[in-house]
Amino acid sequence: MHRRLPHPRHIALAAFCVAGALFILSPLAIVILTSFSATAYNVFPPQEYSLRWYETLAAQGAFYGAALRSVVLATATMAIALLIGTLASYALVKYALRGRDLIKGMLLAPIVLPNIVLGVALFIFFVRIGTVNSYPSLLITHVLVVTPFVVAITGAAFANFDWSTEEAAMDLGAGPVETFLRVVLPQVRAGVVMAGVFAWIISFDQVETTLFLVRPGQSTLPIEMFLYLQKWQDPTIAALSSILILAAGVVVVALSIAGRGRTPADIIKQQREGSG
Amino acid sequence: MSTPAPRTGGMARAAAPWLLLLPAFALMTYAFILPIGSFLEYGFYRFERGRLIQDFTFATYRRFLFDPYYHAVILDTLKVAAIVTTIALAVGYPLAYGLWRLQSPALQRWFGLIIFSPVLVSVVVRSYGWTVLLADQGAVNWALMRAGLIGEPLELVYNLTGVVISLSHVFLPFVVFPIYAAMTRLDPSLREAAMDLGAGWWTTFRRVTLPLTLPGIVAAAQIAFTLALGALVTPALLGGGRVLVLPLQVYRATSEINWPFAAVGGLALLLMALVAVVLSNRLLRYAEP
Repeated sequence: MHRRLPHPRHIALAAFCVAGALFILSPLAIVILTSFSATAYNVFPPQEYSLRWYETLAAQGAFYGAALRSVVLATATMAIALLIGTLASYALVKYALRGRDLIKGMLLAPIVLPNIVLGVALFIFFVRIGTVNSYPSLLITHVLVVTPFVVAITGAAFANFDWSTEEAAMDLGAGPVETFLRVVLPQVRAGVVMAGVFAWIISFDQVETTLFLVRPGQSTLPIEMFLYLQKWQDPTIAALSSILILAAGVVVVALSIAGRGRTPADIIKQQREGSG
Repeated sequence: MSTPAPRTGGMARAAAPWLLLLPAFALMTYAFILPIGSFLEYGFYRFERGRLIQDFTFATYRRFLFDPYYHAVILDTLKVAAIVTTIALAVGYPLAYGLWRLQSPALQRWFGLIIFSPVLVSVVVRSYGWTVLLADQGAVNWALMRAGLIGEPLELVYNLTGVVISLSHVFLPFVVFPIYAAMTRLDPSLREAAMDLGAGWWTTFRRVTLPLTLPGIVAAAQIAFTLALGALVTPALLGGGRVLVLPLQVYRATSEINWPFAAVGGLALLLMALVAVVLSNRLLRYAEP
């Protein structure tokens, strides 16, 4: 007896998935390939290879500053949004407040708004009250964009939480802050960490919302790259992009290790049980 | 005899949730409600000869609503969003299906990560990747010419084609995962029952899998459509000045201090997004099993 060949339908599906993976990865792969090209114009396949664009990148001080500013901004945004968002979602899940759905809807509203609208509205508002181009305005904008995601993700984690353990801790004499830090937080850690990771990534990738808020010479990395690309298209950007893709690759491998033994279905199920 | 709880304690307890919500409310008021309100106010001002004139008028609205140029812009914006949503669904549904049907958990995890990974890379980098890939001497044209399918390189970038391809790629993860989530919710016994009763693969798919995953499709379409409406970076980098969607017009108006126009254009974008959300919520209510 010989093994049955897979059904043609399954072969077609597998082929489609392989093609889909290629489609997803190809714009990232081509950036890495281009960064090693020796020529300034885009030709496929590259005729010669060199490291000159990495040398050019190393000489471009503007990108260092922008990268540093983006990392600092994303980290500060993550910390503030985690604090504000976690407090809010804790209150929303724990207390049966009147108009809870309305409050939740309002807190999540910035997600639906097109980012460019939010960016322009905030720019005009900050000009009007005279705080445009100030660092606090930039930070507040990032926090506003990110907080709804934190509320949504940590809200799901709190919905899974066993509230009787909190009560027990309080009965045993622990104060509310101590109870929150030592009993509640450890149990919802996974949700908070996930919210933090998302907050950081979303903040790091803001362009439309803060395009008008950054001072020239003080911009964040994606905006610096966006403005550079509107003027030049040489592979210096490819070299920088390759470094960012490498960083994303490290995150993907870390996620893969963290998620070992779990399928995407498990993760979605966990989220759904939380929000349901 | 029990003593009544001290009054202040009760009040403090009642106030606790509001105190916890206070920072979020303050943030929303200062950085969302007030800016949006002030933004809408500018729609009633006008902009003439390079100057902002602050008197109450419907002139900007009138210009926006009756100028055929802006009709074309709105139509183009809706067209791009509709095409991108359709392509992302057409590519995303089979990918979600494949992810769901994969038997090996390790393979499933890696395939899921591959689909998710572009989210971790800035949209600026992804759009740049597409300009390189789709260029006249880029990889796509090279492959098509090598295969003998075309003699001359196709114009794939700095036009609508490039914008549509790149946006479909950018939003693909947001389409695959809601559909995949709907599939994992599916009771496997339903499909088995259909198969046992003699339904072929196509009938089972059409009568069981597809209708039951419809909520996922509607949710995915809503996300893709609203994100595509508001996209700025990709049309700016791949449109080559030829794809003048509304976000680009709002961006340009803002740089030119034509804030009344930016406000009216922004409001139009907001309304289109809201209509899409309301419509899909209606559809979801019907689609929910």
